[in-house]
Amino acid sequence: MDILQISQTALTVILGTIGLAIFGIIFGLFYKGVDRKLSAHMQGRIGPPIRQPFRDVRKLFVKENIVPENAISWIFHLAPLFGLVATISILLYLPIGGFNPLVISSGDLILILYLLILPSLAMVVGGFSSGSPYATVGAQREMATMIAYEFPLAIIIISMAWRLSMEGVRNVFALSSITSMPIWNFVGPLGFIGGIILLLALVLVTPAELSKIPFDSPEAETEIAGGLLTEYSGRNLAMFYLTDAVKTLVMASVIVALFFPYNLSPLFGLESYLAFAVDIIFYLVKVLLVVLFSVTLIRVAIARLKIDQIVYTYWVPITLLSLVGLIFLMWDQTFMVNFDIQPVFQMLGLA
Amino acid sequence: MLPFESLLKTLQTGSGFWNPLVWIVAIIVALLVVLIIRGFGKKDYKKGTSQTQAFLSGNPEYDKERMHIKGSNVYWGFSEILNWIINLLKKMHTGNVSDYVLWFVIIIAILFLSIIIPAGAI
Amino acid sequence: MNALEFFVVNSPIFAVAIPLLGAFLTPIFGMINDKLRNVFAIFIMIITTGIVFALSYDVVTNGIRTYIFGAQDLSLPVVRILFEVDAMSCFMAIISVILAVVALIYSWAFMKENTGLDKYYTLLLLMTTGMLGMELTGDMFNFFVFLEITSISSAALVAFWINRGKSVEAGFKYIVISTIGALFVLFSIALFYGQYNALNMAIIANSIQFTFLDKIALVLLIGALAMKAGIVPLHMWLPDAYSKAPSSVTLVLVAATQASLYGLLRLCFTIYGNMITLSPVSIGWLLVLFGIVTILLGVIMAIAQTDLKRLIAFAAVGEIGYMILGIGTGLVTMSPSISAAGLTALKGGIFHIMNDALDIGLMFLVAGAIFYATRETSLDRLGGLARNMKYTTAFFIIGLLAVSGLPPMNGFASKLLIYESTYQLNPILAIIAILASILLLAIFVKVLHSAFLGPALPRFNEVKEVPKSMLFAMAIIAGIIIVFGVFPDIIITNIVEPAANALVNNAGYISKILSLTGGA
Repeated sequence: MDILQISQTALTVILGTIGLAIFGIIFGLFYKGVDRKLSAHMQGRIGPPIRQPFRDVRKLFVKENIVPENAISWIFHLAPLFGLVATISILLYLPIGGFNPLVISSGDLILILYLLILPSLAMVVGGFSSGSPYATVGAQREMATMIAYEFPLAIIIISMAWRLSMEGVRNVFALSSITSMPIWNFVGPLGFIGGIILLLALVLVTPAELSKIPFDSPEAETEIAGGLLTEYSGRNLAMFYLTDAVKTLVMASVIVALFFPYNLSPLFGLESYLAFAVDIIFYLVKVLLVVLFSVTLIRVAIARLKIDQIVYTYWVPITLLSLVGLIFLMWDQTFMVNFDIQPVFQMLGLA
Repeated sequence: MLPFESLLKTLQTGSGFWNPLVWIVAIIVALLVVLIIRGFGKKDYKKGTSQTQAFLSGNPEYDKERMHIKGSNVYWGFSEILNWIINLLKKMHTGNVSDYVLWFVIIIAILFLSIIIPAGAI
Repeated sequence: MNALEFFVVNSPIFAVAIPLLGAFLTPIFGMINDKLRNVFAIFIMIITTGIVFALSYDVVTNGIRTYIFGAQDLSLPVVRILFEVDAMSCFMAIISVILAVVALIYSWAFMKENTGLDKYYTLLLLMTTGMLGMELTGDMFNFFVFLEITSISSAALVAFWINRGKSVEAGFKYIVISTIGALFVLFSIALFYGQYNALNMAIIANSIQFTFLDKIALVLLIGALAMKAGIVPLHMWLPDAYSKAPSSVTLVLVAATQASLYGLLRLCFTIYGNMITLSPVSIGWLLVLFGIVTILLGVIMAIAQTDLKRLIAFAAVGEIGYMILGIGTGLVTMSPSISAAGLTALKGGIFHIMNDALDIGLMFLVAGAIFYATRETSLDRLGGLARNMKYTTAFFIIGLLAVSGLPPMNGFASKLLIYESTYQLNPILAIIAILASILLLAIFVKVLHSAFLGPALPRFNEVKEVPKSMLFAMAIIAGIIIVFGVFPDIIITNIVEPAANALVNNAGYISKILSLTGGA
């Protein structure tokens, strides 16, 4: 590795991070607006305009940034900052807009799994550090929720990688390998069902990852007054608001990358800039659909669960669901080898 | 002793990789971007006013000891689900040294049964 | 032979002899002046560290090094002891000396108000001698002797705060468990000696037949060493001893526990290395099973704890599970040579030995600092300390990130290696490992909240930051954690990989000794 290559990588990372940060924040807020508008329509309301989240952030910036007297101020200030920074760094490892991840071989799915913990951890630490009983209750609920949904999430990620490794792929945890070989392309009928089950489980994990109804008991405005955000105001609250927006984009991109990494341009035989434009638009539509199904629909349809119900929901039904998905994938591999079953895609004549 | 390039190497596991330096550069850049955005916000607040008191839905604040949620009360919803197994395990830890030795005997017996008996070497 | 060469050739004996002599010289210096004694103990340990590093550099570049006590002519039928040092021994020795140095620096202020410190320093140096001996020796009986030295001196140190009943109780439990373990080790050594007329590990490994008696020896040795290494369900002495000992002692106790784990590794990979495929039940799978049970029990019990040091002790049990899981996975795939995934798992397991020592060690030091400042260890009575103890809080946060394996700390690198290899053995193993590390995060966030955050409690208004020597000790470990986290590949290629290869390559270990004895 010579000095030119190093500086090239460094420049890619620096410029890429700046670009992705701006992209993530703008589109995160945009999807937040779309989500609010759609859910309002589903409930028979008119709802705020799509640019409302941008206005919210601007409003928060002119508000006072209060530090309560019970808070540990340095942790109180650092937590929201750190949460947003960690969330933005995840974008670097995800295939955004149908392209390969920006830094192709420096991070993998396990890293993303761990980086996804960081924003939640920042909220928990921020909540605890504000020294208010409401915030403490909210923070400990967030932590319990996090433990709860990580179990199915780990199962989903490990199962996908395991199935891929059975196909003799190297670097199965790398997102570039996963997107170049989507799970649907090589599994048999059982594996296809297994894949759908895992997708369903991941869609159910998403609202908890994003603290949305029905899994928003850490924030629960009507019950514990905003929970871990109770004491936050002004620009610190804006940081959490932005974190939430970017995280929505991140989670949707993870689902897209794991299950729908297809691009439109090869289908139409497009090239260069036109292909980029089509792929980016297609990617944005995919993200929109994922947000619609995993966030908007669920939060409109279901009421908030209690914290012990959340833990139960994730550790029993959803964990069992994803274990079933894992078992299907394992059986599928055995059956395909032993009984020479063709992949579903070949049966349908798509491959 | 160590060539400079080896400092930049990515950790390869055969199934994935991890390069902390790239992440740290990204974090620093993202931090700068976020700090600029954050800089647009208002910095100050009225120190020492009732603004800074903990929000308790209008109830008066208790003395500080009671405002702090104690360690054993944290994670209520979670420990609720795990209580059965925690109680079971707590019962296992008797703190009695003869029980510790008993566990040793049990494990030796299990190992004996699994390693020696199946071989039929006797 | 120039001075440097002489130094390196004799370094195995120096590494053990210098702390041993230092231990008995310490009280003499103590008679003159307390500070002089502390300086002397630290000085001895730093010299030992230098020797261990020089030895490690030599072993990694030039291969296995041996040292013969007694008659140099091996054809003579004289009793002699062989030290055989390979990269794995060096790896463990590095951990031991780093923790010992840090513990001595930490003790300066932490133990200042205690009496009987001459004995304390002597015992601490003796304990380090024992650990280094266990790790460097190539002789089974010698291993037993050093195991006893370590056990007796640690038991005395666990019970060092003799005015507290619980410390004495923990020390008593520790000595009972250690003695029983050591007795079974001795019995197994007798079984070997009776059959093969040899005490040297390499010679036993060369001639081992996996007879009925060998199987009994295997069972007893696994049981005894697993108990000393704190594997569930033989871990029960560990929370008692770890939580009741002074924090500086606990730090060295972590290394002592790992020295026993090293014995287990030597047993599985070297002594029974040729025979491991003959076992009807795979020893590797047994270890994997132990590992999973250890991880789960450790973290679940840690959630329920309200005493800070006991909580960390259970988290330490969980961390031991990760090592066993990685090492067991490596052992499963040894048939007869190791697979790529198995080697990755083994590397992860070995790297985690060091990471656990650093992370859990830092946690115990922070717990000690809290105790020093507030005289409290119960999480229900602490709170708001981040105001008074900023540096300690920062070190705790570093430790928290490292223990729960969050990037970019060292714990993440070793756990990544373990996850991304064990899933090939069975996906469930990796899933449980990931879940448990999230639980560890939750456990330590609870500590962060209940000890450091929250409103300022009037009781702790007078609490001050701990003295500089304690902060310095914590800073050393925190610095190593960050360096290992940021440059994991360097550590793995230069320290961990040679250790893993040395373990796997038991033929090299055996042939080194056989070449000395002329193939006899």
